[in-house]
Amino acid sequence: MGPTDLLWRYPSVLMAWRNLGRNRVRTALAALGIVIGVIAIASLGMAGAALQYQATSDLGSLANEVTVSAGPDSEYDGVTEEQVDEIRSLVTDAVVVPQKTNRTTISTRSGEAFVSVTGVTQASALYEVSSGDAPDRLETGALISNGTARQLGLERGDPVEYDGRLYRIRGFIESEGGFGPPGGGNELVLPVSALADQDHYDTVTVIAADGEQSSRIAEDIEAHFNRAGRDEEEILNVFSFAGAQENINSFLNTLNLALLGIGSISLIVASVAILNVMLMSTIERRGEIGVLRAVGIRRGEVLRMILTEAAFLGVIGGALGALLSLAVGLVLFDLVTGDPTLVFAWAGLRYLVVGFGFAVGASLLSGLYPAWKAANDRPVDALRG
Amino acid sequence: MSVVELDDVVKRYQSGEEVIEALKGVDFHADRGELVTVIGPSGSGKSTMLNMIGLLDTPSEGTVRIDGRDVTHFTEDELTEERRSGIGFVFQAFHLLPMLTATENVELPSMWDTSVDRRDRAVDLLERMGLGDRLDHTPDRLSGGQQQRVAIARALINQPSIVLADEPTGNLDQETGRTILDELTRLKEDEDVAIVAVTHDELLTEYADRTVELVDGRIK
Repeated sequence: MGPTDLLWRYPSVLMAWRNLGRNRVRTALAALGIVIGVIAIASLGMAGAALQYQATSDLGSLANEVTVSAGPDSEYDGVTEEQVDEIRSLVTDAVVVPQKTNRTTISTRSGEAFVSVTGVTQASALYEVSSGDAPDRLETGALISNGTARQLGLERGDPVEYDGRLYRIRGFIESEGGFGPPGGGNELVLPVSALADQDHYDTVTVIAADGEQSSRIAEDIEAHFNRAGRDEEEILNVFSFAGAQENINSFLNTLNLALLGIGSISLIVASVAILNVMLMSTIERRGEIGVLRAVGIRRGEVLRMILTEAAFLGVIGGALGALLSLAVGLVLFDLVTGDPTLVFAWAGLRYLVVGFGFAVGASLLSGLYPAWKAANDRPVDALRG
Repeated sequence: MSVVELDDVVKRYQSGEEVIEALKGVDFHADRGELVTVIGPSGSGKSTMLNMIGLLDTPSEGTVRIDGRDVTHFTEDELTEERRSGIGFVFQAFHLLPMLTATENVELPSMWDTSVDRRDRAVDLLERMGLGDRLDHTPDRLSGGQQQRVAIARALINQPSIVLADEPTGNLDQETGRTILDELTRLKEDEDVAIVAVTHDELLTEYADRTVELVDGRIK
C-alpha cells in the first residue's frame, strides 16, 4: 500500500494535494505570503519576549524585595524589635531580614578603605558569596566585598577590626553592576551583635518569591503601620521595586501588542492573497467542479476539498514560517540576552505557536468564501462554464 | 417500468427581460437496456431536456420520475444523492480531472464513500474497455477515444440505471466514434442500463433502438 492509497482514504486531502500540485508556482507564492506573515508575527513577538526577559533580569532580585525603614512620623530613629516582630507576624510567607548599618574605615598594610557596615544575621538571604560561605546565621566572622578585599589585600581568615573587636573574614561578596544589592561598593557584613550599641534596626528587608508577592507584602505592611488620608501618618517607610517592574512590564506588554499588531497586518495581507488565489483557482475550475457535482459529489464534499486546499497552504506556509522564525528567534535572543537557547522557553516559543495557529486560521478563513461559492454553484450553470 | 420518465415537462428561463420557454410540454421515457437518441437542431431544447433527465435542473412544470419515484420537488442534496447512485454522465469534452489517473477518474463518483472499495470494479471496467495497460495514465497521456472510454467507465462505476451522453462522439473522429458506440451498445446490455444520448451525429442514430426528435421544445 503506497502513500497514495493511504491518501485515498481521505479523498478531500488527496484531491486538495493534487489540485495544489497542478500550479506549483501559484501554490508556492501563496504559501510564501503566509511564511512572511508568520515570520513577521513570530519574530516581532519573540523580540518583545527577549526585551521583557532582559528587562526582568536586569532588575534582578530587587523586584522581589521590600525595604522597610523608619518613617518621618516614627518616634524612634529606626525600626524597633517589636516592629520587626510585628512585620514577621504579618509576613508569614517571606523572609524578613532586619539589618543595622553603619560606616567605618578599615586600614591594613595595603591601604585604607571607607566601607559601609551591615549587621545582619541571615546573611545568606541578602548576599551572594563568590568564595567562602554566607551562613544562614552569621554569629561570628565577617563577609567583605570582593573589590574591597582585593584593594586591602585581605584573604580568607584575615582579621578585620570593627568597634574594637576583630572579625575573621569567612567569605567574599560578589560585586554586581547595575542595580545590584548593596555590596557592589565597599561592604562589610558582620553579625548583628557587632552593632549592639545601636538599639534599632536601620532597615528591614523582606524577600518575597516574586514581584507580585513583594508588592502585596509592601501594601500589607503599609496598611498595618501607616495611615493614609487627611491625618496621614508614616511610621514606617515602605519601599519596593515591584511597582517599577510592573510599570516596565506594562510598557513592554504594550510594546509587544504593538509589535504583534504590525506582524498581523502582514498576515492579513497574506490571507487576502490566499483568498485571491483560492477564488481564482475555483473560478478557473468552475466546469470541473460542475462535473464533480454532476457525478454526485455532495456540496459538503466540494466544500471540504477546497477548505483542505486552503488549510494545506496555511499548514505548509505556517510550518515553514515557524521554522524560519525559530532561526530568527535564536539570533534575536542571542543579540538581546546573550543566550540563544532562551528561545526554547515558552515565553518565546509561544509566538511560534501563535504564528502557526494564525496562519492556519487565516488561510481557512480565506478559503471559506471560495469554498462556499464553489460548493453552491448549481451544477448546470457550472457545466455551462 | 421506465427508469426515467418526463411527464409534460415545461422549462422556462428568464433571459434578460424576456422569458424563454425551452421545453413546451415534453413527454419522454427510457427503459433499461435501450439506447435512445435525442436529435434536433441547435436551440431545440435537447440540452435542457438532458439536464432534466440528469437531475441537474428542475422543471418549471410537469413531473420527473426516476424508477417510478417522483423526484420533481427534491432538494439539491436529494438530487445529488440520486445522481450519485443512479445516473452516469458522459460529456462531449470528456471532462476527466487532469490530476487524477484513469483509475482514479473512474473511481471519482464514489471517492468520498470510503466505506466501499470500488478499485476492483474500476479496474474491471477499464479492462473491459481495453484500457488495462493505461490504468495509471493521466488524461493528458490518453487519446480522445481513450479519454472518452475512461469517462464511460466513470459513468458506470456506481452501477447506475441511466447513462446520459451529451454528444459522446462530438469530439472524436468517425472511426473512434464508432468504437465508442460499439462500446456503449455492448454496455447497455452487459450493465442493463438505459442510455440516453443527445447528438447531431447521424452515426449515433444508426446504433439507437429509438430516436426522439425535438423541435422547438416539443417532441416531434
